Amino acid sequence: MTEIDFRFKQVVDAIVSADHHSYCMQCAACVGDCPSSKYSDRFNPRQILLMVITGMTEDLLAEGSMIWECTNCYNCFERCPQDVRPVEVIIALKNLATQRKHNPDKVDQMVQAVQMTGRTTLSTSAVNRIRGELGLAEVEEPPVEELRKIF
Amino acid sequence: MLADEGVCQRVDETDPLMANTMENLDSRVHGNNTAVTHKYIPFFGCMISVKYPQFEAAVRKTAPALGIEFVDVKGFTCCPDPIFFKASDKMRWLTIAARNLSLVEDLGLDIVTVCSGCTATLLEAHHLLENEELRAKVNERLKAIDRQYQGTAKVRHLCTVIRDDIGMDKVKESVKNPLEGLRVAIHYGCHLLKPSQVMKVDDPNHPTILEHLIEAVGAEPIEHNEKLLCCGKACMHDEMPKEMVRDIVQSILSMDVDCMGLICPTCFDEYDLGQMLLSRKYNKTFNLPVIYYFQLLGLAQGLSPHDVGLHRHKIKTDKILEKLGVVV
Repeated sequence: MTEIDFRFKQVVDAIVSADHHSYCMQCAACVGDCPSSKYSDRFNPRQILLMVITGMTEDLLAEGSMIWECTNCYNCFERCPQDVRPVEVIIALKNLATQRKHNPDKVDQMVQAVQMTGRTTLSTSAVNRIRGELGLAEVEEPPVEELRKIF
Repeated sequence: MLADEGVCQRVDETDPLMANTMENLDSRVHGNNTAVTHKYIPFFGCMISVKYPQFEAAVRKTAPALGIEFVDVKGFTCCPDPIFFKASDKMRWLTIAARNLSLVEDLGLDIVTVCSGCTATLLEAHHLLENEELRAKVNERLKAIDRQYQGTAKVRHLCTVIRDDIGMDKVKESVKNPLEGLRVAIHYGCHLLKPSQVMKVDDPNHPTILEHLIEAVGAEPIEHNEKLLCCGKACMHDEMPKEMVRDIVQSILSMDVDCMGLICPTCFDEYDLGQMLLSRKYNKTFNLPVIYYFQLLGLAQGLSPHDVGLHRHKIKTDKILEKLGVVV
């Protein structure tokens, strides 16, 4: 028997800007302009919202979940007549999946890069040489020690 | 170096004499120059400063002719990235963004961004932190590094600053070699325009800002069916982003254009380096040069292709330069 868990909403409510999910009336305006919906054989923001509201999120928070196919284009945010902000709900699900360590490697790589160097892209001596050739000063070293304290 | 030439200033925000320096800058700048100079704090972000420094070079070199003076501030980190980093933890993303904004709050100058991702993060953070409860939570975290976010820092993308503060006329005035006859396919990308209630740049369904900027340098902006389609970079899937890029590139090539013009370094990654990967996958050469707007502006202002770093592109821009009669 499929279990519905309406308490899951409270978990999502606690995440920044994801708290409008229950305004969703399943109109599917978000699906019409969603590029991921068009190019994927499974991604569907309306369905994702329905699963969030009913708490049937086991698959959404599992490894290989479709939530990672979202392009973050914000079309759904623009189209939604109810201010649900589907993309922000999806990002909240990504936060929860990451807590369970069910995120793609790319997310870990980016987070580690920022933690170790203050940037997502590694700066090398070649970078400063190229910058010099273009007439630019060397890149500044970000204050990584300070950054780590708010990590 | 540009800093040595006085094109931009290195200002240490922890320097107690900084306020004094700002006043001195004012009088030096307005000396015998009747043109108004607009001062901004540039935020170049990771991708541009490290991976595509040619975009930073183009921006810094085209700014003076627009009456823009950059006042550099030390201590910025990644904005942080609104896709992968935000996906891991929203509160952490918001806190680090607030930290970046807090660095400039007492300086009385606006931040100007040149990467759509940075613009999205900083503008959205500013918007979210208007909520007192959320701001209090973030400031609680910022206490650990002796900083507080007050919400006074204003952020805009350079394109909006040009349209609203500098004026398109000033762009036209700065053009020495109009890029006549150059057909530039427009690509807006997603994050400059959306969510529109936060970004407040242009109508996301019928934007015109890029078209006006391209016309201002004498080139011809070309619309195409997939002008507003996402580049797909954020989509973590093996095939989907490539299919989106393929459709955009093919849509553009069906319009007989000379190049693709854009304002986002992440999109650039998808269409320049990405075009090479696309060629391998579909066994087809698309040969569509991709240019960042400020590189076009640079060429129009009389800078050389090398000055704006066109030699660093994976898809060669030779045929554009040939058409414009620019010597490499």
